[in-house]
Amino acid sequence: MSDSRNARLFRLALWAAAGAAAVLIPFYLDGFWLMAGLFAMSAAVGAIGLNLLTGATGQLSMGHAFFLAVGAYTYVYLSSESDDHLAGLGLPTGVAAIGAILAAGLAGGLFSPISARLKGAYLGIATFALIFLGQYLMHGAEAVTGGYNGRAVPPLTLFGFSFADTPELIVLGIPFGALERLWYLAVLVLIAAAWFAKGVLTGRPGLAMNTIRDHETAAGVMGVPVSRYRAGVFVLSSMYAGLAGVLLALVFQRTVPDYFGIVLALDYLAMIVIGGLGSVGGAVLGAFLVTLLPQLLTRYSDSLPLVAQPGTSGGFSPAEAARILYGSVVVAVVLFLPAGLLGLAQRVRQRLPGGLPHPSTPSRSAP
Amino acid sequence: MSRFRLRAGVVGAVILALAATSCASDKAVDGEAAVGADGVKHGPGVTDDTITVGMITDLTGPYAPLGKSISQAGRLYFEEVNAAGGICGRKVEPLVRDMSYDVQKTVSAYTELEPKVAALPQFIGSATVASVRDKLEASGPLTLALAWAPSILGAQSIQMTGTTYAVDVVNGVDFLVKERGLKAGDKIGHIYVEGDYGDDSLAGSKYAAEKLGMTVVEQKVKATDADMSSQVSTMEEAGVKAVILSIAPKQTASFVGVAATTGLKVPMLGSNSAFAPQLLATPAGPALLGDFYVLQASSPLSADLPIMKKIIDGYKAKYPQDGLDNGVMAGYTGSMVIGDALKKACENKDLSRAGIISAHRSQKAWDGGFGSTYDFSDPSQPPTRSTFILKPDADALGGLKIHKDRFTADLAASYPVTAS
Repeated sequence: MSDSRNARLFRLALWAAAGAAAVLIPFYLDGFWLMAGLFAMSAAVGAIGLNLLTGATGQLSMGHAFFLAVGAYTYVYLSSESDDHLAGLGLPTGVAAIGAILAAGLAGGLFSPISARLKGAYLGIATFALIFLGQYLMHGAEAVTGGYNGRAVPPLTLFGFSFADTPELIVLGIPFGALERLWYLAVLVLIAAAWFAKGVLTGRPGLAMNTIRDHETAAGVMGVPVSRYRAGVFVLSSMYAGLAGVLLALVFQRTVPDYFGIVLALDYLAMIVIGGLGSVGGAVLGAFLVTLLPQLLTRYSDSLPLVAQPGTSGGFSPAEAARILYGSVVVAVVLFLPAGLLGLAQRVRQRLPGGLPHPSTPSRSAP
Repeated sequence: MSRFRLRAGVVGAVILALAATSCASDKAVDGEAAVGADGVKHGPGVTDDTITVGMITDLTGPYAPLGKSISQAGRLYFEEVNAAGGICGRKVEPLVRDMSYDVQKTVSAYTELEPKVAALPQFIGSATVASVRDKLEASGPLTLALAWAPSILGAQSIQMTGTTYAVDVVNGVDFLVKERGLKAGDKIGHIYVEGDYGDDSLAGSKYAAEKLGMTVVEQKVKATDADMSSQVSTMEEAGVKAVILSIAPKQTASFVGVAATTGLKVPMLGSNSAFAPQLLATPAGPALLGDFYVLQASSPLSADLPIMKKIIDGYKAKYPQDGLDNGVMAGYTGSMVIGDALKKACENKDLSRAGIISAHRSQKAWDGGFGSTYDFSDPSQPPTRSTFILKPDADALGGLKIHKDRFTADLAASYPVTAS
């Protein structure tokens, strides 16, 4: 019994540490770290959505970046005022954010007749086409999107509180600019998004989704309304992407079409594969790793071994070294951690006192 | 569950206490802008013995070769400056960050560098500059943007070098009229890549054609299109008298190479981003040495100027492995512009961000020894409107020699450059 109490204490300590970090980071770390954290949290929200669709329901989507773009651009369009070049509706920003999430969900719903008819790689290819459609729209519909150079993002204002650098706000001697304010918003949004997705996954819908993934015919026979579920999950996943898009737009303070391309869509797939398919924690872990690792490597590349300073010959340039390291980590995870990083974390936890033995470890009572 | 509540309460209290002691953190608000021991007002990136500058460049993306040359030439300039005693008695330290032409990495790099630097002597790419444009405009350091789209004009802190794509093309059309006998009623072909580079170039050719009573036969291509055969045959059928190419170097090689075999014998002008010296070693090399010219606002490396010799010798000595391209010139000049702004700001005893920008903007006729003067006083206009007509030459350094010296056509002088 004391074992399980230890485990509980350990978990409590872990959560307390995470909570403390979430509260304290804006007080101590500079803009680069806040920016990196905000990118990671936004990506985590998007990755949770993709994991519901691809990891839990087995619907391969390579068009996730398109729905992020729908969210980001809809928010900008709804909340901006019109001027001579650009159209906008000038709605309150909170309403615009909700509208953007709904618009992304609607886009997912419009795509569901296609997603209901296709499976596996074919669905992947069809969703991949969305990326190109998105690029075409973002570059073409200049009145809405601003074309190549994108559009400025109006800062979010909720109940009179503005998530921007102005008006000045100083908390306990620390100036709170846009990044510090957005940090807490992102933490709350991520917690809410994770909590909701966990509820979906652990409840009846989650069971139905996993059954669809593992054996669609069996799911149908058991009375799961397969096509309705598949469409529903697609919509939900798109809404998550829309929410992530809104967050990203607020962090970037400008939306540009270049960002929402193929690389981003593949990054999201990498996140859920590396983190662990089909779970909320896995999506968050993977999103943090994929978003933070390249940035950290680039920033600290000067002090890595085998790396030459820019402008000298011999060795890799810091940027190349960062790329190679990042690639190696991805390959290593895929090769040696079939359940992703979350699977590794679970194994570690089972080794800890109070953890249940892993099914794969032979029990000690066996002769 | 009261025990849990007690624990949670303790944890919460500890967190609050930590937050309350955060005045020990580096981020705490400090007082007014410091003044150095020598009475010079300090801004971000300036201390009593160093001035930090930043470069946001592309070392791993599509512009990697150029980014490398620009960064290395920038370092070279600042090393020379430091060897000569620095600026304002302070050493200049460049911080280089790679963003591989990726918007998210650009925003991260800018967020990291912005509080640390006094100026940004290099920032590559119009899409990347656009992604942080609002921040630069609001409170950014003096930035040299290596992009020639009009969309980056109009901010006090952002400085374009050279001129916009459109102005280059207008000068190019003027050259065709004066020296190649084009006249009213003729058709000019224009192949352009989608994006602001192509769009702005096209705006230039259309403006010039309209004023001169000509028509433009336009063909839009994607950045990924490799084969220009169909564009060549379109131009042949239309009977154009000249072709302007606002595309990527490899596409230029394809177009000029195909045109040489099919018999489209007209003069061709490439925008400043349509040519790379490496093309001369490809099968299209001989064709490029034919009736093909490059429009460029800055002096080529082969220009007969003492400063050019100095840059080339210095670069070869420091980076013997690397070839010389236009990036060397661009990087050195850009850093020189920033260096001169810092020197001027030092004379005014004000190295704050606003001080550096206003020192820079006070220069109406900056001359770095490149035989031209730049007017930095109006942020909404490019600093020059003159263009060189260059001709590819296998023996010239950087692959280009001057065909027609820098000039500003009347049409280019009156062309309305509108900042966004």
